[in-house]
Amino acid sequence: MGVDRIDAVRTEFLRDLEAAGADPDAVERVRVAYAGRRSGVLNDLTAALRELPAEMRRDYGRALNDLKGLVEGRLEAARAAAAASRDAERRSAVDVTLPGEVRPRGAEHPVHLVRRRIESIFLRMGYSVADGPEVEDDWHNFEALNIPPDHPARDDQDTFYLDGGHLLRTHTSPVQARTMTRQQPPIRIIVPGRVYRRDSDLRHSPMFHQIEGLLVDEGVTFGHLKATLETFLRALFSDRVAVRFRPSFFPFTEPSAEVDVSCIFCGGAGCGVCSRSGWIEILGSGMVDPRVFEQVGIDPDRYTGFAFGLGLDRVAMLLYDIPDLRQMFTGDPRLTRQFA
Amino acid sequence: MRFDMGLLLEQLDGAPAPDEAAARLTAVGFNVELREPMGGSEVWDVEVTTNRPDAMNHRGLAREAAVATGCRLRPLEVDLREAGEPTAELVAVEIEAPEACRRFCSRVVRGVSWAPSPQWLQERLERCGVRPISAVVDVTNYVLLLLGQPLHAYDLERVRGRRLVARMAREGEALTTLDGARRTLESSMPVIADARGAVGLAGVMGGADTEIGPDTRDVWLEAASFEPVAVRRMARRLGMHTEASHRFERGADPELPPLAVDLAAAMIAELAGGTVCRGRIDVNPRPHAAVELEMTASGVSRFAGLEIAAATVTRILDGLGFSPLPEGDAVRCTVPSWRVDVERTADLYEEVIRQVGYDAVPSVLPVLSTAPGERSPSWRLVDRARDAAVAAGLVEVVTYSFIEPEVDDLVTGAPLDPGRPLALVNPLARTQGTMRRSLLPGLLAAVRDALNQGERDVAVFEQGRSFWADGTEPRESERLALALTGSTGSWERSEPVRFATLKGLVEEVADRVPMPAREWRRGGAPWVDEAEGALIVGGDGRVLGYAGRVSPATADRFDLRQAVYAAELDLAAAVEPEPRRFAPLPRHPAVAADVTVEHDRGLEFAELERVAAAAAGPLVERLQLVARYEGEGLPTGKVRTTLRLLYRHGERSLTQDEVNREQEELRARLADRLGVRFA
Repeated sequence: MGVDRIDAVRTEFLRDLEAAGADPDAVERVRVAYAGRRSGVLNDLTAALRELPAEMRRDYGRALNDLKGLVEGRLEAARAAAAASRDAERRSAVDVTLPGEVRPRGAEHPVHLVRRRIESIFLRMGYSVADGPEVEDDWHNFEALNIPPDHPARDDQDTFYLDGGHLLRTHTSPVQARTMTRQQPPIRIIVPGRVYRRDSDLRHSPMFHQIEGLLVDEGVTFGHLKATLETFLRALFSDRVAVRFRPSFFPFTEPSAEVDVSCIFCGGAGCGVCSRSGWIEILGSGMVDPRVFEQVGIDPDRYTGFAFGLGLDRVAMLLYDIPDLRQMFTGDPRLTRQFA
Repeated sequence: MRFDMGLLLEQLDGAPAPDEAAARLTAVGFNVELREPMGGSEVWDVEVTTNRPDAMNHRGLAREAAVATGCRLRPLEVDLREAGEPTAELVAVEIEAPEACRRFCSRVVRGVSWAPSPQWLQERLERCGVRPISAVVDVTNYVLLLLGQPLHAYDLERVRGRRLVARMAREGEALTTLDGARRTLESSMPVIADARGAVGLAGVMGGADTEIGPDTRDVWLEAASFEPVAVRRMARRLGMHTEASHRFERGADPELPPLAVDLAAAMIAELAGGTVCRGRIDVNPRPHAAVELEMTASGVSRFAGLEIAAATVTRILDGLGFSPLPEGDAVRCTVPSWRVDVERTADLYEEVIRQVGYDAVPSVLPVLSTAPGERSPSWRLVDRARDAAVAAGLVEVVTYSFIEPEVDDLVTGAPLDPGRPLALVNPLARTQGTMRRSLLPGLLAAVRDALNQGERDVAVFEQGRSFWADGTEPRESERLALALTGSTGSWERSEPVRFATLKGLVEEVADRVPMPAREWRRGGAPWVDEAEGALIVGGDGRVLGYAGRVSPATADRFDLRQAVYAAELDLAAAVEPEPRRFAPLPRHPAVAADVTVEHDRGLEFAELERVAAAAAGPLVERLQLVARYEGEGLPTGKVRTTLRLLYRHGERSLTQDEVNREQEELRARLADRLGVRFA
């Protein structure tokens, strides 16, 4: 009797509670058995207090209180644990392998992805991005660039003419001409945009995109042109590409150079893409012909400059392995979506 | 251009191995793009730029190869034996149009027979892409390929009056050329004529009447020099392009005809029999005047950024035929007659630098100011618009700026019709005959194609320019168009695209561009449906765009098999984004309270909102639509709209009583101003 009994009840309670585990019903049964208002064992123990001799009541009372505290606390914890475990079961009923809600994903067209990548490289080098009309006049598109009327160089760029005598620009160079007539050096610009030529096959489209660049200042040399383009090409492709400059001809530059990069597919060993040469022609460039400066009102004795240009779509085709240029302009969202 | 590797390397003394020759030619500016073995030799496809007509033949290219590989050009030997009558007694040549014909050389070979050329000659021609015909014809082609001088052979008997004149055609004069085409000439066209009329288009193609054939016994050779512009204009007018015109257009060497005619005569006599008559006729009214130029080694070194010795300059210019005279740092030279592209010191620099090698020029980054570059305002605007569309979940497409005229016609009278169409004079196809005045037709065609491919859900946009004619002036302006069709959402909860979906996207994009403050008003026909279409109008009444479900007529025209929602915005109306400024965060909580208004369908939300906003007290921070109901339980034509108002006091927390009082007053005002009931 007395405190011994309390100890025994405590042991039984702990054992029964543990046996109940996480089963909420079993925990409830333990609660009723021990702490239930009408028939719980704690009631009996409390009743037994009145039967005890006076000198035992204090110890007994203290022990009983302790037991009540223990029982309440442990039952609470067990109940909470049982509830949590039940929730967890319910939650894991979700099949987490089902597809989630698809939010619409926008995407930029590869030609614009390339444009912005190239713009970013040149902006960091201090070049600004200029813009101009797509419908041009003969002077800005040809004459200012040292391509007089009846010049065979016009054959290389078959031109679209519009009612009223204007034409669709065949390159973005007219914007350079416009900039040079409005502004004295130093000039550092790149000009992206749509251009138009009468030509259509796997590698040619009547409308395509170019980006051209122009630097005019005092003391600009061919060595500066080389370094600028090498830096650009390494930033665009990889710092392991080799760059080759070959003499060529453009009416607006003298000397002129075509620039090749080592084939990004075969690394220069030779493959179908580079026609087994190991090189891919990527840029046209050169020192601005003094005749161009004369046309646009810049002093050719004081200033020199270089210019360069490349086809944006062509770079996109190389970077992303797109075989047919015209596919880029059919308006097929599936093409763009691949670059989301 | 095709070259016979064997013939090319034969011109060199101490010829290098083919691989080296090809690599060096490429390095100095003649890209050997393709090499194909053929017979015992190779065909080389070499890129010769427009400015180097002198290298469009084996001798000229060999000269470059000689300097590039450090060997020498073998002198050309012509073994000519003359006999019989003096040429000048047999035939006569005259130049009546010296502005078109600079020089006219002639020889005659009598007693030839029609025979095929020897194997070696046929193979050489074939390697260069020329079909062998007979010894006489083949020789003229061979001399063209070797020296670059176009030649023509006439049947002496058929040249009436035995006299050839280089003159301008008479207006309307007729000529049947070798290709069988009958051509009507104009007075701007230079011709070679005999006593009766034109027998050849100068510098382009000979006539059929005087053509040599199997019966020809006496051959009259012409080696002439024609002016580029006259030949080019004539060739363009007649839509012709020949090996001869290609060279004359770019500039042929005026000193070449004598050598060429001698070589041709000698070869014909050897291969087709016959005797070369004595003497060469050479009418040369304006003999070539050599141009002297001067440069310095220090000048080219400075220009290149590389030390180039005067000895190097001299060696290069000598090999290229410039006869350099060095004097210390300076070099004086004479531009050879075949170099039409060299006129200034800068041109000489290029000759030296490309032979030294672009590779030798050290790469040095220029020192530029460190101010970062800027995008022009127009690029910033279009990229803001594009980024807004991509952020809204749309996929970008790029379509042609030109379109079929019948399709562009649909723009006339439609919203955002900018003006009169701008047509192309020489389109590549009728379907690309005019510049687009709106982006919508191209976009709808793209949607149709996607649907035909089996796509069900499409959300696309294009940003580009529209074009039109303003009187005689062309104009262009940036636009953004978008189109949606199908469903949005997930497999669990998918919803068809509807007007509100479109409006949400358009407003999101318009906010980010940004477009100015705007209103949506019924309209947009004929592009969009009257029942589900709107014009987007700015404060000044300017139409900023349109949006809605594509009308049945338009859907029909574009073969769209499901409902498509589309919009177009005129980016010219865009404004500058406002600089951002922080507004202090409120310190007291807001209280939300709803009011449900029952009203006629005819009361547009914009009006209800406007009145409610005006009627709400100053404590209302925000007002938004939370529910809209019509149908069961409501009389026909009646709608229930629930607005949620957010009340907030700047200085203290509001009590529920205060909010209730405000709501009561609001309801009273709404009832008063709009005659509505409440639920």
